[in-house]
Amino acid sequence: MTGCCGKKMTVRVRFFAYFRDLFGGKEKIFDLDMGTKAGELLDLLGDSPARRDELSRPNLIVMINGADLASRGGPAAELREGDTVAIFPLMGGG
Amino acid sequence: MSGAAYGFFGRYLEIDLTAGAVRVRPLDSALVADYIGGRGLATRLFCDEADPAGDPLGPENVIVIAVSPLVGTNAPTSARGHMVFKSPLTGLIGTSNSGGGWGFSFKAAGYDALVIKGRSPEPVWVDITPAEVKILPADKLWGRDIHETTAELTAGFAAADRPRVLCIGPAGENLVRFADVANDKNRVYGRGGPGAVWGSKNLKAVRVAGREKIQIHDPEKYKSGYDQAMYLIRQAPVTKRILRELGTAGLVELINVIDMLPHRNFQDCTHREEDLERISGETIARTILERAAGCYLCPIGCQRHTRISRDGSPDETGEGPEYETVVLMGPACDIYDLAAITTANYRCNELGLDTISFGGTVACAMELFEAGLLPKEAAGGLHLRFGNAAVLEKLAIETAHRRGFGDLLAEGSFRLGAKYGRSDLSMSVKRLEIPAYDPRASFTQALGFMTSPSGACHLRGGYAVSLAFFGGNKEIPRFSLLQSPIAIRNMQNTGILQDSLGICRFTGYAFGSDPWSRMLSGVTGMDFSVARLEEIENRVAALERLFNLAAGAGPSDDVLPPRFADSAVVVAGEKRMVTREAQERMRRDYYRVRGWDEEGRPTAALLSSLRLAPIGRRPA
Repeated sequence: MTGCCGKKMTVRVRFFAYFRDLFGGKEKIFDLDMGTKAGELLDLLGDSPARRDELSRPNLIVMINGADLASRGGPAAELREGDTVAIFPLMGGG
Repeated sequence: MSGAAYGFFGRYLEIDLTAGAVRVRPLDSALVADYIGGRGLATRLFCDEADPAGDPLGPENVIVIAVSPLVGTNAPTSARGHMVFKSPLTGLIGTSNSGGGWGFSFKAAGYDALVIKGRSPEPVWVDITPAEVKILPADKLWGRDIHETTAELTAGFAAADRPRVLCIGPAGENLVRFADVANDKNRVYGRGGPGAVWGSKNLKAVRVAGREKIQIHDPEKYKSGYDQAMYLIRQAPVTKRILRELGTAGLVELINVIDMLPHRNFQDCTHREEDLERISGETIARTILERAAGCYLCPIGCQRHTRISRDGSPDETGEGPEYETVVLMGPACDIYDLAAITTANYRCNELGLDTISFGGTVACAMELFEAGLLPKEAAGGLHLRFGNAAVLEKLAIETAHRRGFGDLLAEGSFRLGAKYGRSDLSMSVKRLEIPAYDPRASFTQALGFMTSPSGACHLRGGYAVSLAFFGGNKEIPRFSLLQSPIAIRNMQNTGILQDSLGICRFTGYAFGSDPWSRMLSGVTGMDFSVARLEEIENRVAALERLFNLAAGAGPSDDVLPPRFADSAVVVAGEKRMVTREAQERMRRDYYRVRGWDEEGRPTAALLSSLRLAPIGRRPA
């Protein structure tokens, strides 16, 4: 993690659809170094081949507080205290 | 039939219910080349017969159901049919698609399309087999629900010979403006009120059976497209597992995460997570789902076959709820009670009500009630407060029978609001209730609702926000005024193609046009290159527009309800609405990318290139 000053922040990660099986629950709370980037969080989550495979899919959707990752600057986006990150595969319906 | 026809039989049925006459008419192969089948072919035949100025509930309305050259093959999801009619809800073209096996069995009776005209003096049903077509009295079926009617007309047949039934319930008989038409009991032509048109014609059911087979021109070519399609369906997580595991209601929590899930008649998009968990796809799968299943020839399997257990009542089984139903009967009415939503869904299925329009109309009634505009006495003594789950089932029954307050609900939200001076509280476009996506959370979604020819529909511009997620390198930002018109044109065109091929929207999560192009070309022996398919999509879109223009529609109908321009919702931390200026700009640019003029009229050059002529009022 790129860090600064040793300070920590809390980030909530929510999982949807079969990602709940893959990551063992609906959500996880992470204490991350201040300044941690979204891409670094994804690296942290990809701690097994199966998880890395799913997180590498072209249709992976990552939202930060309801905004898609691209609009926040992509993987380089710095996370902030209290952010909610939602991660899910492409979902169909309607 | 002609020995030269591949993929179709070259004939369609025309039934005049006024005269009690049946005619078999030839289908010109040029129509297949220009319109394929399904929605394209049905729209062409409809526009050739219907009076755009006619009364949707008068004998002059025409119902056309068409299937595609792929129906009769084993192409994935390919048993779907498409119905076109003038909608009693919108007064414009009604265009509705359904899964289920009826389309397959109708084709197996040896026909490519069915045209129904006139009005029978007495209730009738129609029995279609390759040997004969009979118009029979339906006095003993009239008044019975969809499940009973289906059971009655399929009783006594061995499984291998069992016919399939397309029918209306009491809602259609009672001319509820959002009544549906169902096959396989729970698969419905849902939107725009086709059931009321059937009811107005005294038509209860059409039963079909047969073993006629189409010829395939180039089986190897067909199979190359089929193999590719099946491979991709089994690869993509959505079609491989997500829709089977969660159903369409898997979207409930997702759409909430992107601040788009309607609440309280679209007044806001704010929900508590724990409330939504009570009605989510996961909860449905964990608590009430007995089994998932697919329509005929569908490997995806989004159907929910469910069981509801409630204290003091026997268990009930049925189908649903799907995403749109969950949200419109649920959070849009501030209701998060899965048993109440599901039970009301069962009643809608049996009685023949479109769940989206029903939920949207109840939500409108609740807002009128809470605003003090709709007196309790007028509401049949019911407390129509938001969150009152106890009223849902009762209102569904009253609406289908037009009893008491149900008689007003049966008119749809626009007419209900207008009665109390507040049509602006109807969350509808072209009087068709908006499905479960708040248009303020995506300009692309907003434009999809505005420009759908049949009004705001989940299948014609619904879930357009998904373009922001899975467009790959063509992803459309949710709030792009610039890109939304082209994105929506393309999305609508994809829908036209899918409806004309008789296949399901959900295949689009796995692959695009190319496998279909090869399957269709292989079956018919005609040139259906991807470029030619695009031409057909544009032709059908222009033809639907021509009908709507002739029916009196114009740019002022291609707008959102005022709420979405006047009050904001918070999306990703920012206040968002769709101003009138934004709507005008997107609409203007959409007309341009369609090749329509500033009044939304297809230009002479476009019509010439598509070989179309303007539609005028038909002589009486």
